[in-house]
Amino acid sequence: MPNDINLNNMPLIQFAGVSKIFEPEHETALRDVSFEVSDGEFLCFIGPSGEGKSTILQLIAGLEEKTSGAITKPENVSMVFQSGALLPWLTVLENVAIGLTAKGLSEAKARAGSLPYIEMIGLKNFEMKYPRELSGGQRQRVGIARALAVNPDVLLLDEPFSALDPKTTEELHRDIMQVWRDTRKTIVMVSHLIEEAVSLADRIILVKNHTIQKEFTIALPRPRRENEAQFSHEVLQIRREFFK
Amino acid sequence: MAMDNRKHINHAGRHFGYSYPKSLSQRLHAAFTPFMVIVAIFVLLRISSIFPFVSLATSPTTIAFALLATFVRLLIAYAFAIVISIPLALLVTRSPIMERILLPVFDIAQSVPVLAFFPLIIVFFIHFGFSDGAAIFVIFLSMLWNIVFSLVGGLNVVPSDIKAAAHVFGIKGGSYVRSVLIPAIVPYLVTGSLLAWAQGWNIIIVAEVLHTYIPGGAVQNDLFGIGSMLVNATANGQNGVFIIAMLAMILLIAFLNFFIWQKLLRYAERYKFE
Repeated sequence: MPNDINLNNMPLIQFAGVSKIFEPEHETALRDVSFEVSDGEFLCFIGPSGEGKSTILQLIAGLEEKTSGAITKPENVSMVFQSGALLPWLTVLENVAIGLTAKGLSEAKARAGSLPYIEMIGLKNFEMKYPRELSGGQRQRVGIARALAVNPDVLLLDEPFSALDPKTTEELHRDIMQVWRDTRKTIVMVSHLIEEAVSLADRIILVKNHTIQKEFTIALPRPRRENEAQFSHEVLQIRREFFK
Repeated sequence: MAMDNRKHINHAGRHFGYSYPKSLSQRLHAAFTPFMVIVAIFVLLRISSIFPFVSLATSPTTIAFALLATFVRLLIAYAFAIVISIPLALLVTRSPIMERILLPVFDIAQSVPVLAFFPLIIVFFIHFGFSDGAAIFVIFLSMLWNIVFSLVGGLNVVPSDIKAAAHVFGIKGGSYVRSVLIPAIVPYLVTGSLLAWAQGWNIIIVAEVLHTYIPGGAVQNDLFGIGSMLVNATANGQNGVFIIAMLAMILLIAFLNFFIWQKLLRYAERYKFE
């Protein structure tokens, strides 16, 4: 399959010289960060832990305020969290519907609106289960369904596969690619795995020392396989910069 | 060193096939059962005339009503403690500044012995002709801080991802309190309530015996309840009344433990974050 996503050239997200300093520790999280994300693009930030990649996601999600610079982003942004961040006292259906009820929809309408997304991520017949009755992978699927149910302009993925076993991670990679093709959502992901970034993203931005170090465009056709020579070449190229 | 001792104890426990209670309910159960056994042995000894058994001077119905009166007092005080403690805990955890200011204030307030103020509380309520209010108020104060501090602990362990998810999905203000914070504190509300009720049962022995705090007070000033019955039975040498009243109280506490608290503790498990 070719790299079949048509990107609109209009940038959906723009960061211009953005810095973030956490007070009162006066700890620099980001320094002079500039980038653009096109509508429909799958962008992945990679980099060592604690050097700013998650802060970029938090700024896009509105969880943190920038210290300086300019950010342009759509209002309707949703996020999939590393831990799943599901409410343990709610069923799968109620967890997925929570974003819709917060938008003012009635319980019934929110639940009806959530069902297609639960089916889309392969959890049909799990609607009345509680998070504690699900596997780690299933919980992450619920998190993805919850994020999609609000029909966001941008879907943020904050290391959503880092706590899962390799088999489940691969299944979820396939699922997220399917969701991307079906919904044409703009996806911005954070990962610390170069292979994961190369297998999913159109573009990879390396964040090091609290700023953007380098950008890589991945022009490989999908589905991408790790055992292909071109895949290994891309990974090697990024790895060199990552450990430089 | 302490760690080493624990290792040895755990090792010994495994060796003799004894599993140590881990959860709060298991610990309570472990503590309560031997107590019941001791009381049962004591009663058997009394009945078997090793000690002279004094005939019952108060009817069992009166004892049952006294227990009911005490229980209602505890229930009212508990209801007030719940209603007050939830907003207090939410207020404290609202911001780090609030926590820095209010938590030490609460800490001092809970450290002050409730009974030190009891004479003043009695004077205040007797002034309005509502002596029951004095007992309820002092029970309320003894219950309040157990629940408040338990809830503050619970609110402080709500995971940051959950808070972030609530923000991202637009769950804010009252909706955030109702659909995230209140359910999140359910396990802490149950454990805090359990401790509060234990404190309430402790204080009832004093809270109903008003005459000792009133200058020139008489037994008639006391409130009708199981606490005053126990104290006055002891003072009058009515051992039969004392034993039956104590057994009735233990039975009620055991009933509440097995049929209410154990069930609530199990139910609250579903509200815990992993």
